[in-house]
Amino acid sequence: MDETNQVIRTLFMTLTQLVQGFGFTLAIFGLTLLFSIPLGLLICKGRMSKIPVISLICRFYISVLRGTPLMLQLLLVYFGPYYMFRVSLGNDYRFIATIIAFSLNYAAYFAEIFRGGIQSMSKGQYEAATVLGFSKSQTYFKIILPQVIKRVLPSVSNEIITLVKDTSLAQVLSVTEMFTRASAAASKQVSVMPFIVAGLFYYAMNLLIEFILNRVEKSMSYYS
Amino acid sequence: MSDVNNDIVLEIKDIHKSFNKLEVLQGISMEVKRGEVVAVIGPSGGGKSTLLRCATTLEKVDAGRIVIGGDVLCDEVDGHLVYCDKKLEKEIRSKFGLVFQNFNLFPHFSVRRNITEALIHVHKKSKPEADAICDGLLKKMDLEAKADEYPCNLSGGQQQRVSIARALATNPEIIFFDEPTSALDPELTKGVLTVIKELAQEKMTMVIVTHEMSFARDVADRIVFMDGGVIVEEGPAYDLVTNPKQERTKAFLAGY
Repeated sequence: MDETNQVIRTLFMTLTQLVQGFGFTLAIFGLTLLFSIPLGLLICKGRMSKIPVISLICRFYISVLRGTPLMLQLLLVYFGPYYMFRVSLGNDYRFIATIIAFSLNYAAYFAEIFRGGIQSMSKGQYEAATVLGFSKSQTYFKIILPQVIKRVLPSVSNEIITLVKDTSLAQVLSVTEMFTRASAAASKQVSVMPFIVAGLFYYAMNLLIEFILNRVEKSMSYYS
Repeated sequence: MSDVNNDIVLEIKDIHKSFNKLEVLQGISMEVKRGEVVAVIGPSGGGKSTLLRCATTLEKVDAGRIVIGGDVLCDEVDGHLVYCDKKLEKEIRSKFGLVFQNFNLFPHFSVRRNITEALIHVHKKSKPEADAICDGLLKKMDLEAKADEYPCNLSGGQQQRVSIARALATNPEIIFFDEPTSALDPELTKGVLTVIKELAQEKMTMVIVTHEMSFARDVADRIVFMDGGVIVEEGPAYDLVTNPKQERTKAFLAGY
């Protein structure tokens, strides 16, 4: 009886700790999407720019950020200011550095996804819009972008789901998100139970995201 | 930039256009009068489509003069090609309509929105006004029941008729057709050609690039035969088809 009580108590404690960390996980997830998608669009624009310097810079950016580990980028953004310029940015900077690194990294992937979507549009759509008198920005926002969103949604969904799991990398900067707390609880309890519970959290979150993304995809299936 | 004749809706004078080293248009001149229907025929690669694309601002010429509805799109000034500014270019675009071979309807817009979007957001018409224009055109195109459908649910012929309605919506002075039936099977071609024929009877000014020889003969006032980047022969439609003068025209028409 006592043993069962003990198990329930531990489980409850683990849950409380993970839920506290889950807030950070959500924050990293949400803020990263908020910043990386517009930034990705911007880099995509730059990558497709007719000005060689801009295009080259964006290519290089994408190549480096996709070609090096996200964990390394996290460490670099966090420790960089101190080791390079001897600037100490305080404890809050852990979280800020996490958001910066995640946003920069995901923007590189989004940029390439958007580029694929934009380049898959037929020239005829631009031409029809042009002769009808639509301005460049009207053409982009009314004609091109809505169709691009539909086309890139499956790839963007992939990235969003990966991002949920990648938030666990914030552990290297000791941001007390869910995975950091799960690790701590696991070593304290000498048990894998916290990891399993954390895994269930991640999976539940992704199930919900999958459900939402499927709904969005369906809402755009009225045309092909 | 000199005087402009009001009865001439389209004036093209000695235009040249090259892609890389290939000169696709080697000095084309033509005039289209108000109410006139001109068919442009000729083998593929002869420059027909490029001519149309230059006249509709989708390509820039290398030399020559183009005047649409009294506005000078481009002209030679002291031996240099000068294009009009963006503002006039936009003005010129409201004076013509273009119907593409592949329709190029906006797939994410309903039929109604395909027709009204430019009316509302470019020509600043109110929604009821735009809707009224749209309803009138759909009736004319025999597509009244399709206003709320999306293009993907229509046949090719219906899609092309929607795109003709879209081109007509802004009440242009001239409509260009770039092989409007080449993407359609014969059954669907008929409906589209009927619509164009009706427009001809209403004295709509039109330039039609087409491979439908009997249609060109019956509907056009004049036919222009292009090959190798030049106009080989032109004349009244019936005469040119039944009694071509040039050997190249004869050889081309013999294939039909």
